[in-house]
Amino acid sequence: MKILIVEDEADLAKDMVKYLSNEQYRCEWAADFRSAMDKISTHEYDCILLDIMLPGGDGLTLLEELKKQNKQEGVIIISAKNSLDDKIKGLKLGADDYLAKPFHLAELAARIESIIRRKQFDSYTLIQQNGLSIDLAAKTVSVNDTQLSLTKKEYELLLFFIGNKNRVLSKSALAEHLSGDYADMFDNHDFVYAHVKNLKKKLKESGYMDAIKTIYGTGYKWELGANY
Amino acid sequence: MGTRSKLLNRPLKAFALYSLLLLGISIPAYVLVIDTIWVSELDENNLLRLEHSKQNLSRKELSRADIEQFNRVWGQLEPGFSIQEVQGNGLGQDSIYEVEKLDPEEEIHRMRGLLSYITIDGQAYQIRIETNLEETDETFLAVSFVTAFFFLILILGFILLNRNIARRSWKPFYQTLASLKSFDLAKNQGISVESSTIQEFHELNESLQSLVESNLAAFRLQKAFTENASHELQTPIALIKSKLDLLVQEKELSPEINELISSIQAPLSRLNRINKNLLVLAKVENQHYQEQEELDIKKYMDASLVLFEDYISDKSLLVSYDGEEGAFLRANSFLLETLLHNLLSNAIRHTPSGGEIHISCTKQSLHFSNSGSSALQKEHLFERFSIHTTDKVNSGLGLAIIHEIANKYAWKLSYQFGEGFHHFTVTF
Repeated sequence: MKILIVEDEADLAKDMVKYLSNEQYRCEWAADFRSAMDKISTHEYDCILLDIMLPGGDGLTLLEELKKQNKQEGVIIISAKNSLDDKIKGLKLGADDYLAKPFHLAELAARIESIIRRKQFDSYTLIQQNGLSIDLAAKTVSVNDTQLSLTKKEYELLLFFIGNKNRVLSKSALAEHLSGDYADMFDNHDFVYAHVKNLKKKLKESGYMDAIKTIYGTGYKWELGANY
Repeated sequence: MGTRSKLLNRPLKAFALYSLLLLGISIPAYVLVIDTIWVSELDENNLLRLEHSKQNLSRKELSRADIEQFNRVWGQLEPGFSIQEVQGNGLGQDSIYEVEKLDPEEEIHRMRGLLSYITIDGQAYQIRIETNLEETDETFLAVSFVTAFFFLILILGFILLNRNIARRSWKPFYQTLASLKSFDLAKNQGISVESSTIQEFHELNESLQSLVESNLAAFRLQKAFTENASHELQTPIALIKSKLDLLVQEKELSPEINELISSIQAPLSRLNRINKNLLVLAKVENQHYQEQEELDIKKYMDASLVLFEDYISDKSLLVSYDGEEGAFLRANSFLLETLLHNLLSNAIRHTPSGGEIHISCTKQSLHFSNSGSSALQKEHLFERFSIHTTDKVNSGLGLAIIHEIANKYAWKLSYQFGEGFHHFTVTF
């Protein structure tokens, strides 16, 4: 799947490329308005990450252009402005999501995964992974046809892990995913342990493999091993 | 500062007082002039009458009895005229005199008299001619009345003229004033002034317009600065964050390095929170967030409680919430949300584990109380970066933001400590 990153900050763009690129995703980068416009007109992407403030033009203009060309790409606006106006304007213009800088790369990956899933498998709302199946429409999870009773937060965590397979997720990223923009109002994110512990326990009880690994001092990792 | 009067009424008062003074002084002057003219005219008249009488008397051959008869008849016909014999032969000098006499109705009359002598048929006679002279006080009264009448007309004229001048010449001034009164920096619009043919107003308008323009320019610059500063700061913060995310992916990191990386997250979060809060503060101060709508406070409070439920259960806090249904408030939705999040996160952070938080809200007020050990320093509580806690995560701006938002909507914000509870109240 192809992702276009429209971002003028080279360092940040490279980080995104590095984090997102794997067997599943291929990333391209456009650093300014002109090259972004060229890429959009000549290529098809599955998801576009769009910075609003760009050299040579406004990211929102690119969004308008996309809609004019009737392109079906999923668009996530990434903006440093964190302005409510931009968010509302962007979503009105047809963006699928809005992410304010600074963000955790894990959060970005989870959002991209969610949008691609929504765009590409419109009717197919089932994620299946060696015995684990998640029905996105009904928000239910089952292991080998036995339904798990997860809380809302455990369910959200599970999706977040699956969107960041084989990557280390820091406690801070997990807390921010659960509490949104306001997680940084607190210094203690111990509640994350409790939710992860419960999720682990429920998965284990259902007979699923122990996919959530604890990385000492850092956080967790959803690891399926080399074979998966 | 005394009582204020309109500028135009000030010269009016001075003019009126000056006119009153001048007209007041003019009264005795007029009286004096009139009296002098009056007296000299009467003296002249008396003299003419005397000459005339003397001529007539000398021309006729009149006996002594005739003259007596004449005196009686004439005296009846024209009081104030008399001719009488003078004993001896010495003729006196002509003289003028003034006398006051009582008439039969007991009224005093001022008389101007002329005394002269004539010899008829060898007999000396004294002729006396008296004419009624207007009394000075009567003249005074009449002049005063006339003067007062004209004074009133004068004042009336002043007022009408003043009003007329005010309406015409001062019109552009009052328009400029109205335009200034309705001026709002946040609206980003200059003032509209009417051109005036009066030099002073023209200059005033020009200076005001350039003043307003430079203010607007400074304001725009400030706004741009805020936006730019936040953008500039958020990019490096975003970079540190993404680098850390990549760093933890590295294989074979020792637990010590993992710990170190982890411990960078907390100050980074704090840096980010401070930056975000500074931006919100600057925006509230710069009159952003002007859109308003009717907001259900309970709905927003419920959302806040859900958002922070993990932090509440983490510290095993007992939270009670009593929200009145249908309590609507006119405000900006982002600002109300920010206010509630800040109040609640503040309470959660500062309540010791196992403590209590009580929230109640009505149409009139919002009340937060949370358990605590000792009162906070009231005077600097709502100031920016006032150090009232050793809390590592506190941005030092949370209460300042609450204060700024309350200020914006003229809500009253108060803090009390009593019976082991901190009480924060916002009165709408």
